Amino acid sequence: MILSRRFFILGGTSLSLLGHPIWNARAATQKKKNLVIIMLRGGMDGLTAVPVKDRLLNSLRPNILVNKTIDLDGNFSLHPRLKTFASLWKTGQATVVHGSNIPYTKRSHFEGQNQMETGATTPYTEATGWLGRGIDTAELNGLAISLQMPLLLRGKITADNYFPTTLGLPSSKIFEKVTSSFVEGTPLHEAMMSINARPREMLRANWKDREPLKLAKTAAEQLKANDGPRIAVFDLDGFDTHSAQGGTDGEHGEKLSKYDGIVKVLKDNLGKTFDDTLIVTLTEFGRKVEENGGYGTEHGYGTAILMAGGLVKKSQVYTDWPGLSKKALFEGQYLNATIDARAVYCSAMAACFDVDFNYMRKHAFWNEQLPDLTEKLFKT
Amino acid sequence: MIKKNYFRKIAFGLGPNTDVPSDPVAWAQAQVNSVPKLAWDGPLFSEKFLLDKRAEYRFGEDEIRERYKNDRQALKQAEKKLRYTTGEQYFESLELNIRHHAARNSGTPVFERLWWFWSNHFAILDKSSLPSFNTGAFQREIIRENLCGNFTNLLKSATISFAMIKNLDNSDSVGPNSKNGQWRKKKGKPVSVNENHARELLELHSVGPAAGYSQKDVIELSYIMAGWECPWTKKRHDANQVKFNQNKHEPGEHKVFGKAYKQKGVTPKNKLIDVINDLAEHPSCSNFITHKLCRHFICDHPTEEMMKPILKAWNESGGDLPTIHKALLEVTYEYTGMFDKFQNPEVWLMQMATMADLNWPLSSVDMIHDFSTKPRKHMNRVKWDLKEIGLSPYRPTQPNGWSDLSADWISPELLLRRIVFAKKFSSSGSGHGPQNWSPVHMLQSNFDNLDRVLDYLSLDKDRWQQDPKAKELHPYNVIQTLFPSNWMVSA
Repeated sequence: MILSRRFFILGGTSLSLLGHPIWNARAATQKKKNLVIIMLRGGMDGLTAVPVKDRLLNSLRPNILVNKTIDLDGNFSLHPRLKTFASLWKTGQATVVHGSNIPYTKRSHFEGQNQMETGATTPYTEATGWLGRGIDTAELNGLAISLQMPLLLRGKITADNYFPTTLGLPSSKIFEKVTSSFVEGTPLHEAMMSINARPREMLRANWKDREPLKLAKTAAEQLKANDGPRIAVFDLDGFDTHSAQGGTDGEHGEKLSKYDGIVKVLKDNLGKTFDDTLIVTLTEFGRKVEENGGYGTEHGYGTAILMAGGLVKKSQVYTDWPGLSKKALFEGQYLNATIDARAVYCSAMAACFDVDFNYMRKHAFWNEQLPDLTEKLFKT
Repeated sequence: MIKKNYFRKIAFGLGPNTDVPSDPVAWAQAQVNSVPKLAWDGPLFSEKFLLDKRAEYRFGEDEIRERYKNDRQALKQAEKKLRYTTGEQYFESLELNIRHHAARNSGTPVFERLWWFWSNHFAILDKSSLPSFNTGAFQREIIRENLCGNFTNLLKSATISFAMIKNLDNSDSVGPNSKNGQWRKKKGKPVSVNENHARELLELHSVGPAAGYSQKDVIELSYIMAGWECPWTKKRHDANQVKFNQNKHEPGEHKVFGKAYKQKGVTPKNKLIDVINDLAEHPSCSNFITHKLCRHFICDHPTEEMMKPILKAWNESGGDLPTIHKALLEVTYEYTGMFDKFQNPEVWLMQMATMADLNWPLSSVDMIHDFSTKPRKHMNRVKWDLKEIGLSPYRPTQPNGWSDLSADWISPELLLRRIVFAKKFSSSGSGHGPQNWSPVHMLQSNFDNLDRVLDYLSLDKDRWQQDPKAKELHPYNVIQTLFPSNWMVSA
């Protein structure tokens, strides 16, 4: 199989715009657009989610090949458990960016996950996340679907979080009383007002209701509301399949179907708002191309980004495909990353928040040389 | 007038059996002279034993992955079993119970708060099964045991401990000119030092970022540290005691902060000890850690003025921890009432347990486990509750540990957790609630602004003690209303 390489990486778009007046469209048109980030922790394997049609892959992974895949564009196909994604592909609402990664080339989950959230080029050097800085830049509000505020969302503007408690709630009188103890205008009072604004039944849930799928439903309701948050962040783990990764019915496929389930719930519950929504994945690295002795894979480098929603430009596998020959592989073992994932995220924020790409790049990514992919990937 | 908020600022508040000390500073200072015994008569395992258990778990994982590579269901079953036969599912719960028992029952709550502080200063990340086997023991045997000596010894012991070497990947460090490095080069394998541990030793554990070291200093220190490892063996994986491996050590002389470190005596391993001695005595070190102590106990943004007496104690005593702690305790008293400190979820929970005399944590009998069956559900109560409240002590996700800044703790859900936990613990039907406890003593001994607290509870400041049966004074009401409120989240 031969894929033509498209050399957009060196495009000089950012330079030509230097000195250009900053254009912030938010002031002009204020249509609510939503950005949903799904973090896939553990190292999501792009070659399992979106296998390339290449005999080299078959020979490196004899025991964990994915069968019954769904063809995408003749060159790539889709894991059969990504059913919702496949149906969105048919309606022009699904995009894959392949052969991409954050600029992290080592093998530690912790360093990688730190960098995927901060967007930095060295681990543990930044206290804020790229999404948090993007939110600051666009002056928006975000919602973390978790108890802890993820690093990804940290910025200057305090973000909101949602993760229903499993414990019983006291009476509304207690809520009023406790609220009265906080000084108006303080962050504590604001957090308390945020709790009070939620319907009581939303605050509490059973253990089972804290499954990502149930939380996705609430998130959809929040995102749908005109005055609700525009950004939501999910956390999924378990992609670290060192053994029994399997092909079609393996562990990795199982995790992918969890992701697909969230997309389905969002799609079903967002209604028309789905057209103004973008759902993007984020992971620390892909997995080694060659399988290991335990029918799993080791930590790798390049991987794929899955994007769904009405804001993608069209259904496409966007790639500067590096190839799987030993020479083409990073360190001779790992799928290469020819697209800096941060260019995709910066473009996604520019498109969803109606902010000029270079303005976003300057504020969220320290003006690093990232190519503008807005026009290529998103409806603008 | 005794400042009573002090008892929450430097401890967990005063319980029903503790009278307000007439000299709070002397009361607090008396607790930091020697390492108190852990108030625990249940199962207790040594760091060494837990390393064996880690080995059993690591090797076991290999075995079952190979055995069940074609059978996902069987693999899952085998993984589950391995988790309880090796104690992987048990030790963290056990250690948390020990930690909370000490805080509650050792009679030295001030020391225990300092133990929590220093354990977080030398934070061990939530990675590589460290919380399940090693972090608790590291905090007990290495941090706790070194809290009444010199800071230099604490820094040394923490740096070359199994948990820290593993935590910061120093075993991956190979000096390019070392024997092992040369061999790797010949084989075409990549050779480099891992800068992680060196960087954090400077940035987090000793001198702090303001010391002005360069990337070159970090690399040079990495060379000096190369060779300190937990060796990998097939039967035990990484679960081996820390050793200095000269074959991985970068030979020669290396400079940190402009000073050259050379080999003295028979082995170059002492180079690291020499650096640590100098780092601990570097002026930025006392400054950085004093700031951190003040930030933890007094307020988010400490002033130079409040740091001065502590720095003086540090420098004059040459880093004697009891002397430093005593200065801190005195300064904290002075600033009580002038600066408020937001209390993190775990401290807050322990304050509630202490002040309201709650049935918390589990008893030592409840924590007996035979390793042949799944640990009983209740054993994990402390672990689960701490997770639910938002602070799992052994599972920080950043190498700088859990934050000391209020901004990192104020969010709708984390605030809601305090409200629902107060409700849960307020009812004696839950098994947590107080027995024969009257809020009168608690209110009198723990709050400076009692009038305003009484006002908040709708109690009359002149008459409230005359009507002990008033519904506003019922434990159920006081716990639910007062503990999640502004009066308790800060001190």
